[in-house]
Order: sequence, then C-alpha cells, then structure tokens
Amino acid sequence: MLTPLWLTLKIALLATLMAGVVGIALGWWMSQRRFAGKNLIDALLMLPMVLPPTVLGYYLIVVIGRNGVLGQYLDRWFGINLMFTWQGAVIAASLVSLPLIYKAARAAFEDVDGRFLHAARTLGAGEFETFVRVTLPLAVRGITAGLMLAFARAMGEFGATLMIAGNLPGKTQTLSIAIYDAVQAGNDAQALWLTLVISVVCVVVLVVSGRMLQAKH
Amino acid sequence: MTTSSSRWLGKFTLLAALSISSATLHAQEVVVSAAASLTNAFQAVGQAFEKSRPGTKVTFNFAASGPLLAQIQQGAPVDVFASADQETMDRAAKANLLAEGTRADFARNTLVLIVPSTATAVPQKLSDLGNAQYKRVSTGTPSSVPVGRYTMASVQEAGLTATLEPKWIYGESVRQVLNYVARGEVDAGFVYRTDALIEKDKTRIALTVPTTTPVSYPIAQIASSKNAALGKDFIAFVRSDAGQQILDSFGFSKP
Amino acid sequence: MTTILELRVQAQLESPGRSFLLDASFNSTTQRTALVGASGSGKSTVLMAIAGLLPQARGYVRVADKVLLDTEHSVDLPARERGVGLVFQDYALFPHMTVEQNLAFGICRLGKRPNEAERDRIDALIRQFDLEALRGAWPRHLSGGQRQRVALARALAPQPHFLLLDEPLSALDAQLRVRLRHELAEMLERVQVPALLVTHDLSDVEALAQSVIHLDKGRVVDSAITESATPT
Repeated sequence: MLTPLWLTLKIALLATLMAGVVGIALGWWMSQRRFAGKNLIDALLMLPMVLPPTVLGYYLIVVIGRNGVLGQYLDRWFGINLMFTWQGAVIAASLVSLPLIYKAARAAFEDVDGRFLHAARTLGAGEFETFVRVTLPLAVRGITAGLMLAFARAMGEFGATLMIAGNLPGKTQTLSIAIYDAVQAGNDAQALWLTLVISVVCVVVLVVSGRMLQAKH
Repeated sequence: MTTSSSRWLGKFTLLAALSISSATLHAQEVVVSAAASLTNAFQAVGQAFEKSRPGTKVTFNFAASGPLLAQIQQGAPVDVFASADQETMDRAAKANLLAEGTRADFARNTLVLIVPSTATAVPQKLSDLGNAQYKRVSTGTPSSVPVGRYTMASVQEAGLTATLEPKWIYGESVRQVLNYVARGEVDAGFVYRTDALIEKDKTRIALTVPTTTPVSYPIAQIASSKNAALGKDFIAFVRSDAGQQILDSFGFSKP
Repeated sequence: MTTILELRVQAQLESPGRSFLLDASFNSTTQRTALVGASGSGKSTVLMAIAGLLPQARGYVRVADKVLLDTEHSVDLPARERGVGLVFQDYALFPHMTVEQNLAFGICRLGKRPNEAERDRIDALIRQFDLEALRGAWPRHLSGGQRQRVALARALAPQPHFLLLDEPLSALDAQLRVRLRHELAEMLERVQVPALLVTHDLSDVEALAQSVIHLDKGRVVDSAITESATPT
C-alpha cells in the first residue's frame, strides 16, 4: 500500500542531494562573480522551474532516451538505459529541484556580509577555510530552507517523471503517479488515501522550512 | 446619432449576427469518447459523418478506455462512448451510465506482438520473450487499459506470467505502447494490428497473439447525453456499411 | 628615523555609475599614524590595499621591513600571508561564534584544536583585554565598548606586524567615545604594534596618533608629524 511512498521518498532524497551539490556550488560561484552573460546563465538555471513539465520531459527524452543524444552512447557502450528506471526519475526530479536550491543558495551567499570574509582572510584563513568556517555557517539557514522546498518539489514531480520513468508499480510509480493511476482506474479510495499521505508530508516539510527561514541570528 | 457611432452600431450588429449564425451552425454537436486504438479510424468516420449530415460537428476524445470511463463517471459531457473491450463497457453499465438499449458491438481487432523495425532479435513464438535479449516488453496498464488486460490473459494462458513479470513497461494507452516500440525504448510490445499498421515503418509485427476472449469493441449512448438523437445517428453510422467500410480500411474486422 | 610604512598605491575602482581613482603615496616614520579625510576620500580603500583585500591595487607597499606589494617585481602577498591585522568600523565580529571562538580564529586553523601554547595565548589575550567574563558570550549580546575590545583582541591574536584600524570609535556614542579613546590609546601603547588609524575625528588624531596624513579624492594632500601623544 505504501510502496509508492518509500519510492517517492527515496527518489526525492537522492534528487535533492544531487541538485543540492550542484545548486549550492553554482549558487556560490554566481554570487561571487560579475561577468558578461551572467543574467543569461541565471535565466538558464531557472529555466527548469518555469518550463512546462512535459517540455522538460521531452528534452530529457531527447537526451537520455535510448536513441537520445547521450542515451545512445550510454546504451551502446555501457548497456545502460535510463528510461523506465528510478534513476531516470531521480534525474527528472533533480532537474526541477535545481532552480529552487540554486536561487536559495545564491541569495544566502549574497546575504553574507563581505566584511566577515575580509576579516577571515586577514586572520590567516585561505579561501576554502573561509568558505567552510564563515560563509557556509552564515548561509546555512537559507540554503536549508531551499533544500526543503526542493525536496517537496521533487516529491511532487509528475510530468517529466512520467515521461522518463513511466508508470511501473514498485519500480517507478511515485506517489503522484500512483494517484493519477488510481484516478484513471476509477479507484477513488486509493486515490484519496495516497493524496492525504502526500499532503501531510508536504505540509510538514513547509512548516519546518518556514521556521528555519524565520529564525534569525 | 452621429455618423461614427452609427458606423460602430452597424459593425456591432454584423458581428453579433455572425456569431449567432455560427452558433446555430454548430448547434448540432456530438461528443464521442473513443478508445485510443480507434483514433485514426474514428477521425475518418467522423469526417464522413459530418459530410453526410451538413451542419453537424463531431468532437472526439481519444484515450485509454479506463480513463475515458473515469471522466464520464466524473460528469464529463459525453454523448457516445466506444471502448476497446466489453469489460469497460460492463463497468459503465453497472454504474448506470448507459442509455437503455443503445449498446452494440461494432468492430473486432487482433492482438499482435511488435518489435522495433531496427531490432536484431525477432520472437518466433511468445515464449521467446523469456530470452535475455528481451529486457523490456510493453503493454497497457492492466487496471485501466484493455490491451493490457488482453495481453495479461494471453500471457497467463501461455504460462509466461512469472517469466515476463520483471520485464513489463506499462503504457498509458495502446498508442503509448506503440510509441515506445517505434522509438526503440522497449524491445517488444503488445498492440492491436490496427495500431501496428499506423507505424509500419518503425515497427514490424513479430506474431499474432491468440486472446482468451475476442477483442470486441462495443459502443453506446451515455444516459445523461443532451444530444440523444445525434448520438443515436452517429452510432447508426458507425454500424452502417459506410462506417464499416472505413473501419475495414484501417484493419478492423466485422463485430 | 626608520620608515615604518611606505606606500605608493594606485587603484581604479569601478562601480555602476561611479569611478574612483586612488593614487596615494606616503611614508610614515611614527609608531602610530592617522589617516584623515572627508568621506569618500579613499581612506578605507588605502586600508584595504595594505591588508591585501584590494585586487586592483598596483604599486608598492612596505610595512615594518616586509614588502607586501611590489607590482614591478610581481610581489602581491595574499591577505592571509601579510601579517596585517584589521579592526573594522563596525567590528565585524563573527556572529555565529562566541568571543573566545572569535579570538581563536586567528590562532588555530581549520580542523585543528588549539595546542597548549595556543591555548595559553588565547588566555593571555582574554586577560589582557579584560574579557574573562565574556568568554562564552555571543557578539550580539555585547555592548559597543566590549565589541571594540574583542575586535582589537581578535586582530592581534595572530601576532601581526602591523595594525589597521578603520574608524574604531565612530560606531560609539559621544560619551562612550571619550572614555574608549583613552582605553584605546592605552591598549595601543601596551601592545607596541605599529598602527595606521583611519578617522575623520581630529580628537582621535590628538589622542591616538603621532603623525597624520590627509587624503582628498584619492590623493595625499598633506602630511605632518603632530605632538607626540600621550594618554591622559
């Protein structure tokens, strides 16, 4: 009964992790530099958030489908096919989560007063040490709030996931897809139960992340 | 009235007249929800129907039979329902959605196993699907798509349920199954012969699959329909020689 | 008289709508020097250049026998190697660290716990600046005067050769300023580290410095040795 829930949690967690690493790194990089074309890169990074999920799904198919730009080499050289796999679902979910984390991380890093970084450097800290001992702790609240929102988003990912991972019960049937499936089959009781489960989880995530954003130093 | 405002009044009246007349032009509209496998054939039938009765418009809604039923149950304004198996229509009847005495069978189809045309491995018999080279086999989601149910029944009959269980890739409709095979995302798929004919270039039929029950298509009027007369006419057209000829040209057989 | 600070620095700063050219040259022979000028004259920029926090700086900076910047000979030490302490205008104490941790930052590097010698140094600093009662306090709970002491102690923790102070008293109210001016003069006398002090308040110059440099629109317009200051 609850297999879709564990599957959804697993996929959402991994997607948040992947998007987290990339999003935080990009958020840091973009907060530090000013260069020509910065706005364009920013727009590209926010794109997965505004593109319709089906458009995203289509692009993913074009890239990682069996005959896709990358997919054909994955298939030919490694025998790997990401379509209809939970790994493919993770890729779809991390793509839609990335903008949320990137935006939150960049804002959090930009909020860190440059004077603290200057102080750290005059006190003998190198770039990495300054990042770990000063920047990160001061940005962690904003970043964590972003991660939680990204997690909630990844949990609800539907359109692109359905196109890439399909609807395979036990393998790729996430909660959202299971609800869709239950409605299609006329199974209202199942649909209602699953909807309640995911609603509760999302509310919890939003409440906790809201508290993290509120609390000040 | 000034000349400019009278000109405006004139334009407005003309516009109003046009919209009223176009509304009356489409006053005769019938909404038909039909199984995905009927997409191409019914579109042709619809065009012929409209030609034979000028002033009528047929609006189609194509999807897997299960979701179509769910929509009707939730109150979608559908006049005619055509499903790809008796089971879905039985469910509709049990839910008291059908107009009394309007149900009839209008076509038959065959279940086939197809592979991508670029495939190096082509199954000679159903049990070949158990071989390692067939990693992914597609059919419709059994709970809501008729082709999935026909497939599972046939697979069970052939004693292959356990063998194929880890290989299934479910499609939302038979057309999605067809699409998966055409794109090469899966190694083989179960569709109707009429669907295989649509993608002649990208797929090839490996074998015909015997089904435990005939693949029989029923059609019926929906009880809550507001266009009962036109709905009745449409069903009659589908069952007429003209309609049957069109269905035949797409590969369907007589009911 | 030995030159304690030798500086010939040019820097072009661009920000949207503004362009600022720093072109300052001066030598200082006194232990404590004041840098004065109107706001916008480039005082803080000079401090940044000496501290190694101004990537656009070109020229020559020598402080207490150590060459920090020499563009001609491709010398440009990163801030962490310059041995220059900086006390910020609003102190910039790390808000997520206690007083003790703030002090320790300049002594222990990442991932290392302070060894005995280092712990002794931290304790000595705490004693010297009368911070014993505030060891575990958070910067946001400290008064202005307390923060100044912590900021100074923190800057001195890595035993710098030179000290930079950016308007050290301007964040305080008038009354406090008078009292802390004395304290600061005492502390600077005690630690015996040469210092450059930026201020726009001439009372600071009198009490704290032995010579003064005037800066205007990025250029040095005047310099003088004042009466040697003694804390009163």
